Amino acid sequence: MLVLTRKVNQSIVIGEGIEVVVLEVRGEQVRLGIKAPRDVAVHRKEIFEQIQSENEAASGTKPEDVPE
Amino acid sequence: MTTMTAFDTARFGTIQFGPEDIVTFEEGLIGLSDLKAFVLIQHKEDSPFRWLQSLDEGNIAFLVVDPAAYTSNYNPEMPESATTALNLSEETPILVYTVCTIPNGNPRGMTLNLAGPVVINAESRRARQVVLEDESCPVRFAVFDDQKSQVA
Repeated sequence: MLVLTRKVNQSIVIGEGIEVVVLEVRGEQVRLGIKAPRDVAVHRKEIFEQIQSENEAASGTKPEDVPE
Repeated sequence: MTTMTAFDTARFGTIQFGPEDIVTFEEGLIGLSDLKAFVLIQHKEDSPFRWLQSLDEGNIAFLVVDPAAYTSNYNPEMPESATTALNLSEETPILVYTVCTIPNGNPRGMTLNLAGPVVINAESRRARQVVLEDESCPVRFAVFDDQKSQVA
């Protein structure tokens, strides 16, 4: 993992189209601003992981268990 | 004349499909980015259920359902990233399905993933599994009342 130190209002650029700006640091919370191409989905990792885990569970569904 | 392709699947034996049947997820499903090409297979006649059968892995298929079959007011607003990626306008016909999880041998335990619906542009057949950050759209929505009371 690449580790960088940034101050408020400084940013990092990922590839050509994505920029992450540090907007505010308050105690343990950091507010980030993300500029990304319009077709790029940006989400908190928790919800992404929940759906990923549910997809794995869903892939075990069997045809004989489907309700009529 | 359309050229049909034969493909071996674990659940449905050998299936035949044409190029117009393929639903393309350019980014794959969430957490399964290698799975990009699927076909929709009707579960049974008159059933609201479909199977999203992978054309990359014959043993992978997801049960999906028209959410209207089990919810009354599920009409999520599509994030701009999805409307842009799928080139959706107000007039574009779309298909929205929710992925179902049924514990083995327990149909009454079925849950719907309302947070990660599958959205298909019905004209281009390009699709995306959309992430909805909306607390009214749970990842595991219990369909049957007896299950709801257990969850609560």
